[in-house]
Amino acid sequence: MGSLEHANWFMRIAFFAMSAIIVGSVILAQRGRAMFIRRIPGLTAIEDAVGRATEMGRPILFSPGLDGINIVTLQALAILTYIIKLAAAQATRVIVAIRSPTVYPVAEESTREAYDAAGRPELYRPEDVRFISDEQFAYGLGTVGVMAREHVATNFLFGGFYAESLILTENGRALGAVQVAGCPDPTQIPFFIATCDYVVIGDEYYAASAYLTREPTLTGSLVGQDIVKAILIALAAVGIGLTTALGPGHFLTVWLGGGG
Amino acid sequence: MDRSPEGSFWHRIQRIPRHYIYLLLAGVVAWQLLFPIRLPVVPSSATKGVYDAIAAVPDDKLVVISTDWDASTEAETAPQTQAIMHACFQHRKRFAIMNLQPPMGVKLANDLAEEAAREYGAEYGVDWCNWGYKYGYENVLMALGKNVPKAVGDDFYGKPVTELPMMEGVADIKDVGLVVIVTGLSAMTEMWIGLIQGPYGTPLATAYTAVMAPIYYPYLDSGQMKGMLVGAKGAAELEVLVDRPGKASDIMNVQSWAHVLIIALIIVGNLGYLLARGRRGERAS
Amino acid sequence: MALLRSVWSLFQPAPNRGVLLAAIVLAAIISVAILYALHRTLGPRGRRWLIALVTFLAGLFFGLEFFWPVKGDPAKNFLTDWIEPVSTMIAIIGAFTVGLGIYSLCQVHGRNVAQRRPGWHNSLTFFAAMLAMLVFGLWEHYLHLPQPLPEVVPWPKGIYEILFNGLFAPLQAATFSLLAFYIASAAYRAFRIRTAEAGLMMAAAFIVMLGQVPFGAWLTSSIPVDAGWAFFRLEVLGEWVMRWLNMPAQRGIVFGVAIGALAMSLRIWLSLERGTFFTEQS
Repeated sequence: MGSLEHANWFMRIAFFAMSAIIVGSVILAQRGRAMFIRRIPGLTAIEDAVGRATEMGRPILFSPGLDGINIVTLQALAILTYIIKLAAAQATRVIVAIRSPTVYPVAEESTREAYDAAGRPELYRPEDVRFISDEQFAYGLGTVGVMAREHVATNFLFGGFYAESLILTENGRALGAVQVAGCPDPTQIPFFIATCDYVVIGDEYYAASAYLTREPTLTGSLVGQDIVKAILIALAAVGIGLTTALGPGHFLTVWLGGGG
Repeated sequence: MDRSPEGSFWHRIQRIPRHYIYLLLAGVVAWQLLFPIRLPVVPSSATKGVYDAIAAVPDDKLVVISTDWDASTEAETAPQTQAIMHACFQHRKRFAIMNLQPPMGVKLANDLAEEAAREYGAEYGVDWCNWGYKYGYENVLMALGKNVPKAVGDDFYGKPVTELPMMEGVADIKDVGLVVIVTGLSAMTEMWIGLIQGPYGTPLATAYTAVMAPIYYPYLDSGQMKGMLVGAKGAAELEVLVDRPGKASDIMNVQSWAHVLIIALIIVGNLGYLLARGRRGERAS
Repeated sequence: MALLRSVWSLFQPAPNRGVLLAAIVLAAIISVAILYALHRTLGPRGRRWLIALVTFLAGLFFGLEFFWPVKGDPAKNFLTDWIEPVSTMIAIIGAFTVGLGIYSLCQVHGRNVAQRRPGWHNSLTFFAAMLAMLVFGLWEHYLHLPQPLPEVVPWPKGIYEILFNGLFAPLQAATFSLLAFYIASAAYRAFRIRTAEAGLMMAAAFIVMLGQVPFGAWLTSSIPVDAGWAFFRLEVLGEWVMRWLNMPAQRGIVFGVAIGALAMSLRIWLSLERGTFFTEQS
């Protein structure tokens, strides 16, 4: 097998084709092409969960997970922005518990912008975006402490979670909070399913911002993703067929497998 | 309409307060720690893969053990590390410990290596060494691929690694015959596969906490990993292969009965659920 | 031409020569100052373009390095040598934000103490713990240098041992072990056979749970290891479930997640996702 330090021709073609499909689909959607997204229960529940906190007159807690600034966290912040806009309209407080110092300034900025966008800049309180600790379990227990002291009504957990996920959600549940969680990492999904009211699974996580905002750019991207996925599944089927028919040593099989 | 009394036995066993469950579990753990019932451990093919990979390392090459764990996962990762070190010493393979994150791991692994080395009369710098904690994840691995002594610099004790006898003739990653990652952190595998195993073809074996292991089976199946230790079970299996029953074997006794308790609780909860539903059905009809 | 050459020489990966290093730092400061000035003076539209441009250029580097054709052994292109300094730069920028995090912590807890809010003594503990770890951690570090300074007294080593091995490590291990209790109660509460699928899931869960422990192996130990039906030994069956049922599902999820990440990266890289991080989409 060849070196994977740099792309081979197959990867170059595949990458540019996939990117072209996604970007093309975004442009089509921006020009007004209607696109369909199926219902995702975990995301539909966000509005109800925010409403519950308003009814109870208690704050909402949002955790963007343990990861630093990466794609998973940026998506979590996009969801946070949406939640703040909903909550701000009903004058409900949102406390953001941060683990990564690199996420902290970005989360602070996103939160302030979201309050501005909702037309309620006066509701923004800098101390509600809190750096808890960059130590995994100190973060877990510290966040549970915030849940208990602030009597939160709703917990939103979107982002990269690891072993602390169960500490957060089992305690959140014991405190009587409604919990909505989403994580692209399959290892934590079982724990979330056992303890949360709604869970967003796998790549539904990346569909979140499109689903919530229905912005053409995002829905276009989502549809583009699905087309790419369908093509990749077809390619995998072709690969299986070729390997079975020609054997793993054939130049076509090797080339498709990333070699050469 | 549901007129079944909420306080009936079948309803109550569906809602055992969690404090009782905690107490039961603590009781089972304490019981097995004090009066263990030992059951035989059968090595799986994934564990045998790790053992065979260590045995197959050419004598002129090093084994690198990346100990990326800390006290939180110690119950699983420390016995794994220990068993891997025993396998290395028994097969007379020289090994180097290193650590990318969290920094605590390198000290904990060093203690384990010193203990095992005493048992085999192995000498630091000749049979094993500790490259220490290296900051910078990808940067360290990229540099390691091209020039090992330059990437490592000083060892755990602040001594240049070039002064260690076992590092003589070690230039780049081609002089490493096997990398074993022992970790409770998920991003490590992708980094080692992407930057070392993929580009240079260096054999790789891994050891994970039991909760992480399921997502890494694809790499085992594709041959990118020679073997994999799954949690304390993997450690106990390797302990059997190196004939050194240790901590992991004790942990497995505890885990056995804790699993039985959880299964029993699930069955009890479901019995309550099904029978309460059955009664409701009877009443409705 | 000479000027151009000397400017170009600034951007070659080279050993840390003092003058070159100073010039790089100066260039970085000037670039930041120019960007800041532009950001302050441009209108909203211009600012959006500026952010999009910087985002695009920053994102371009790693992609271009990976996809640009390579030559020689080791295989390189014109950007490969820059990977290391650029990665270091990213790590350094990240390190600066640690200060922001600590500032936030001090702000929240400082206010608690100053205003004597309920639980203010917990906040005081935070300051004491942070200070103790900082002081004794650094002290320990200076003792560990190959040639420790003679003026560094060794007695704080004991305090560091107590803080680290006596408190920090066991606290971490104890917190992780809480998971055992949580998973026991969560499994008991959440696992109900409400549908046929849930029944299947429970069967798989029991096989894997028993297959993971010696008790499971003992239950089916009467089946000889080399028998044709040895497949039904629980530890074999458990591994089969993990390798043949779990693995394809994991691959499927990873597939979807990776494409999702690609799409999200493209949207951010090309500044298509204006509604979220930049200004509202019109």
